[in-house]
Amino acid sequence: MNDELKAGGFQLIIHHSSLITHPMSDWVKRFLPFASLVALCVVIAAVEPKFLSAGNLAGVARQTAVITIIAMGMTVVMVSGGIDLSVGSEMALAGVAGALLMAAGTSPFVGVLGALAAGAACGLANGVAIAALRIPPFIVTLGAMGIYRGIALLITDGKAVVGLPQGFGWLAEGEVLGFVPVPLLFVVAVALLTHFLLSGTRAGRYCYAVGSNVEAARYAGVRVSRYQIMFYVFLGALAGLAGAVESARLVTGQPTAGEGYELRVIAAVVIGGGSLSGGQGSVLGTVIGSLLMGVLSNGANLRGISSFTQQIVIGAVIVLAVTFDEFQRRRLETAG
Amino acid sequence: MPSNAPALEMRGITKSFAGNSVLAGVRLRAAAGEVHALVGENGAGKSTLMKILAGVHRPDGGEILIEGRPVHFSKPADALAHGVAMIYQELSLAPHLTVAENVFLGREPLRFKPLGVVDQRGMNERAGRLLKEYGFTVDPRAVVGRLSAADRQLVEIARATAEARRVVVMDEPTSSLTAHEAEELFRLIRDLKRRGLAVIYISHRLEELGEIADRLTVLRDGREVYEGAWGELTQEQIIRHMAGRELKEIFPPREAKRGEVLLRVENLSRAGKFEDVTFEARAGEVVGFAGLAGAGRTELVESVFGAQPFDSGEVYLDGSKFNLPSPARAVGLGLGLLTEDRKRTGLCLNQTLASNLTLANVGALVKGLLLSRGRERRAAREYVERLHVRPPDPDKTAGRLSGGNQQKVLLGRWLFAGSRVFLLDEPTRGVDVAARAEIYRAVNKLAEGGAAVVMVSSDLPELLGMADRILVMRRGRLVAELDAGRTTQEEVLTYAALEEEVENTNDE
Repeated sequence: MNDELKAGGFQLIIHHSSLITHPMSDWVKRFLPFASLVALCVVIAAVEPKFLSAGNLAGVARQTAVITIIAMGMTVVMVSGGIDLSVGSEMALAGVAGALLMAAGTSPFVGVLGALAAGAACGLANGVAIAALRIPPFIVTLGAMGIYRGIALLITDGKAVVGLPQGFGWLAEGEVLGFVPVPLLFVVAVALLTHFLLSGTRAGRYCYAVGSNVEAARYAGVRVSRYQIMFYVFLGALAGLAGAVESARLVTGQPTAGEGYELRVIAAVVIGGGSLSGGQGSVLGTVIGSLLMGVLSNGANLRGISSFTQQIVIGAVIVLAVTFDEFQRRRLETAG
Repeated sequence: MPSNAPALEMRGITKSFAGNSVLAGVRLRAAAGEVHALVGENGAGKSTLMKILAGVHRPDGGEILIEGRPVHFSKPADALAHGVAMIYQELSLAPHLTVAENVFLGREPLRFKPLGVVDQRGMNERAGRLLKEYGFTVDPRAVVGRLSAADRQLVEIARATAEARRVVVMDEPTSSLTAHEAEELFRLIRDLKRRGLAVIYISHRLEELGEIADRLTVLRDGREVYEGAWGELTQEQIIRHMAGRELKEIFPPREAKRGEVLLRVENLSRAGKFEDVTFEARAGEVVGFAGLAGAGRTELVESVFGAQPFDSGEVYLDGSKFNLPSPARAVGLGLGLLTEDRKRTGLCLNQTLASNLTLANVGALVKGLLLSRGRERRAAREYVERLHVRPPDPDKTAGRLSGGNQQKVLLGRWLFAGSRVFLLDEPTRGVDVAARAEIYRAVNKLAEGGAAVVMVSSDLPELLGMADRILVMRRGRLVAELDAGRTTQEEVLTYAALEEEVENTNDE
């Protein structure tokens, strides 16, 4: 935002440079996470051929599905300038709610709908507190993280909900066409839906605008609160869906499920180019961010590297990704 | 030899960013005890030159001499160590700290030196003395975030001048000050002069420079195009040097027919901001609002737009009452507000030009359920062309446009939204002469097209040149309605400042 480059004599040059430097850095920014993912896959495949087996890849898809589904919603919330630390708890509460419904005799379909509704309700409560009461999202959802977890533990007395219907496990373990894992289908569907929402609708446009400058959006006539609430509800519903998938994977409704997931979800968004200060982020980036972490831990597992070491590596990747982003941004600013 | 060398000399300074030459061999000399005015349009390179002097940027070529000795600044601390201090246009204070803590930030007086315990009382006393010496009535214990913009600017000035020993740079220091405070500042500047400092003073306000400047350097397109004693050139000549064009081209004539009343404001009041304001704006009319800073003009238009509440009174649009104000409703009814602070309440800086331009009317881009990229690009191109936005690239990030072009994008936003009543709050603040002329032309076209325009401005020549009627506000009240064709700057100022000391209002 350097205001030097604007005198008449420079106009031509600026225009010229905008064709080169700006899309170029955008391109690097988009390409780098993807390139890292490909490079990582190549390296792992070279030292561990088993990595490329259909069974292993399906395993990676299953393991990353829950995180990726929530991360789609988190992308929307973070692009709008918010954050939600309660997603792990929302997921547990929604998973337990769905499981209780099914244990009481409803069909898996109703169970999943119940989980979605419970998640959406959690998101609604977060959104209303943030948008209508104007409490910072970090604080609201930090509190909500404890509240939802507490409710999940209370209604189950801290015990897993058992006695889920036979067909429910298909949600996590099933395959379509003999090799495509069902959770992967959910991921693809949710990713397409979210991409459509963010880049193809008015709500998506407002999402970026609100995240970029909430006051500017308000002065442009955007009903900011309404949209903010909607984004948290969307995230909550996806956390609910993830809760159902997780329950299916565990074959029980676990009130302790999803602990620490919020950090992995936020990490996926951030590695994928999302910004904690809003206005930036994309579905493709987040998917890559989530896969990057999944592939990294899968490769480490195949090599027999301990999960302790994995944590260190993933932590370093997050810091590196953000550092790169930050440098990129600063370079653009001084060049601007 | 160093005794007759200027306090500061910058020679042949060049600087490029990403291959774009911003400074092409600039020379700037300022002697001790002199106020040196630095003027130029936005983008002429003033800020870059000053950032190089402050050690924020490194020059690609050229040299900086302090009292004849070459120096190299690679960080702001180097510049400070040589006695060069800078007052930034954009405030750089820590809002949660007190005035005294800000003034002494980075060089707090300590009590138990090894422990780094700050001598809070001593610091407050010293800051208090300093402020008093400057004639600023700011409490050193006050938290900066709670101060008015003007008081914050005073704190900034106190901090920088307390550090300066040789050169102090002021970049538009009066933009948030009242006439009275500006006068205090000028007194301080004269005092700095007497103490033998060189003051480099950047401003767009030529009248104001006339009060204090001794010499003048004009920058255009990254070079100095004039250097000489203040007073050798008339204002028109200075502007011609800055812009490379004539002043009379700036306010184009307008031929608009007045139609029915589009906006009527009746007895609008908001405690402590404005009281009992009644006015109307007709189709085809430009209504100007004059007043000193703090007269309540910004608050008034924000309340009319629904962005801020009001306590009593009514707003009518097209004759029907506009009851539950919110910007969303206002926009829906055809009202548009170009806000005073485009970075805070105008632009989404990290979004594209196209996205910013269409933000108030995204609905027009939606086809079925989907946002149409084609429509977005067509809309962006149309308004980019109409308003001559440069560069004409819809995908350009808004934050990377110049101030004038950002303002054109925001004006384009309301054009695209199909607004019929335009509230323009300081539409040309920080905008260079060329972009101004384009904004004026656009405003004329709006009026000719049957829109009502309400224009708040602190730039009197602009109000006289653009408005049909000028309403003057003083301390929240409307005090005069003047025919812009017959009134003069002196008359407007007299009404605006009646209760203030008239001598401070710079009646030129």
